[in-house]
Amino acid sequence: MNKVAGLAISIVFALLQNDPRQIVEEAQRRTTSQSQRYEGTLQVVDSKSKTTEKRWQYDRIGSHGASKSILRFTEPAEVKGVALLVVNHPERASDQWMWTPAINRERRIALQDRSTRFFGTDFSFEDLEERDTDQFEYKLIGNESIDGAACWKLQSTPKQSKASQYSYSYVWVRKDNYAFAQIENYIKEQLVRRAHYTDIRNDQGFWTAHQIDMHDLKRNSHTILKIDKLQYNLPMKDDAFTLQALRRES
Amino acid sequence: MNLKAASLSVLLCASAVQGVQAQTYTQRGFLEMGGTFYPQKAANDTAQSVGESLFRYEGFYRASSSFQIAGAIDLRTDTHHQVERDFKLSWQDREVRRPMGEVRRLSATYHRGPVAFEVGKQFIRWGKTDIVTPTDRFAPRDFLTVVDNDFLAVTAARVSYEKGENTIEAVWSPRLTPSRIPLADQRWAPPPTVNAFFPVTIRDAGANFPGGPQSGIRWNHAGPVEYELSLYQGFNNLPSFDVVGTQFSPSGIQVDVQRFYPKMLMAGGDVAIPLRPFTLKAEAAHFSSNDDRADEYGLYVIQLERQSGEWFFVGGYAGEVITNHGSRATTFAPDRGLTKTVLGRAGYTIDTNRSMAFESAVRENGDGLWLKGEYSQALGQHWRATLNLTLIRGEIADFLGQYRRNSHALVILRYSF
Repeated sequence: MNKVAGLAISIVFALLQNDPRQIVEEAQRRTTSQSQRYEGTLQVVDSKSKTTEKRWQYDRIGSHGASKSILRFTEPAEVKGVALLVVNHPERASDQWMWTPAINRERRIALQDRSTRFFGTDFSFEDLEERDTDQFEYKLIGNESIDGAACWKLQSTPKQSKASQYSYSYVWVRKDNYAFAQIENYIKEQLVRRAHYTDIRNDQGFWTAHQIDMHDLKRNSHTILKIDKLQYNLPMKDDAFTLQALRRES
Repeated sequence: MNLKAASLSVLLCASAVQGVQAQTYTQRGFLEMGGTFYPQKAANDTAQSVGESLFRYEGFYRASSSFQIAGAIDLRTDTHHQVERDFKLSWQDREVRRPMGEVRRLSATYHRGPVAFEVGKQFIRWGKTDIVTPTDRFAPRDFLTVVDNDFLAVTAARVSYEKGENTIEAVWSPRLTPSRIPLADQRWAPPPTVNAFFPVTIRDAGANFPGGPQSGIRWNHAGPVEYELSLYQGFNNLPSFDVVGTQFSPSGIQVDVQRFYPKMLMAGGDVAIPLRPFTLKAEAAHFSSNDDRADEYGLYVIQLERQSGEWFFVGGYAGEVITNHGSRATTFAPDRGLTKTVLGRAGYTIDTNRSMAFESAVRENGDGLWLKGEYSQALGQHWRATLNLTLIRGEIADFLGQYRRNSHALVILRYSF
């Protein structure tokens, strides 16, 4: 009986290992939380190794395709109060608005503008969206190690409704905890951005990278996002993630 | 006076709270020093350089998740008497010159669920287009140097209700905050065509401010296509002029001019449509008045926006249709002055510290031209230097052309905290 159960588990596990959608759905399930808050420090290093530092506070309610997030710059002083509201939708691309306190106005970030860099960092506006598994097609490419950890290497291709700047991406998912280890984004056949996830820790049951190094290969610049004061499942209200909230709290 | 004392004490209280509940108080501000250099002398102003300093402090005290107080103070001085020399903390912004001290903002916000209520001196921005924004009726500006202007806050109560993609906002303001216009004895108020034998000088005979409130309502839809309808009744924050006296003397004619702010009813709307190659934005409003001295007219703007790599482009056209001519044709109206004009703006981010921007306005009949180029560089985490070069050309009868001797270079050094 034990042998049969063991065999069944092995078969399920083997199937799971070979089904890329199952892998990313499991990864998504493991990172599904009601809310998230962190303070991020960004070091932007340009092609001449000149470094500038920015800080933001990130709040999110909901998870993946049904989430809303607000990101507010807290440093440097001249951008303090600049904020970005991202409303993710499961069936289409997100809506994004940026608030600039100096002119007391928000500006919608149009779809065709999402490929541009977000406020001088190496993240594009699209990179700040939350990925939802249903918006991509997946293919298992093989097994590779990233930073010594065994990973599945998957290819994800956005569905037409996603309206992505990227033609496809390679995603490395760690086998031990289903955390993302690396993402490489391609436009046509050219690698344009690489996100490398390190310092992966278990916070309140969620495996989370505390450092993301986003490399813009066209510009040869990179931005290191370090995550501090990370908290999950804080009580947050939906009305703190609206256009009105964007205006009144910046 | 009580109001001023109250505003000061609120800010001081907020500052005191900082030490007790640091996480509920945030602040920002800057000290800015600027120099403007004009290569040409003006007929009524021989000064060719102006120095200005501005200190701005903004504080935000969040008493709870639903209640917040926001305050800001400006302290400024200059070398050209565009700023008053007697210190007082201004609330109303009705001074001819910029006040040395000003409560820039002081408002309390309470929100509960989809309803938000803000009362006090605050900034209210309507509309979507840039450079000319016809529906932006609660946004008077400081036009002392016409092409480098800044917004003034209004004293108002505002309530908004947001449900899904729709927001309804109602605003009531007890009294008019006028736009500040160029000083009569300075270069941004060029005198009428000068007759060498009999020069004309304009004397500001003060303002006839209207009594009574202003109000407005706006419905905004923020779906994939954004649109907005708005209605405003109150007064034009830009003045018209009445001649109230004329004095002849051997040295010339002095004309005494009084400002008045005609009643205004505005109905307007705007739309933003994201298309594949660019975003199309359009805004239009019709302005009517029961004051027969004022024109009735419509303003419209159509613009295209596109961000590409490190570039940001905006280009458009602003137009005007006069539906009824008023009996007083003399107004100071930069919004109407920039119509029948092709407008453009481009920005380029060189790297994380440096950026460039270009703005232009070209009259369709070629009678006026305004070009601005700006280079800005951050120096470390707190300092930023900006160089702004402005070229103005045109015919004397044109709104832009009348400032043709005011091309200038502006250098700004800012320390932000």
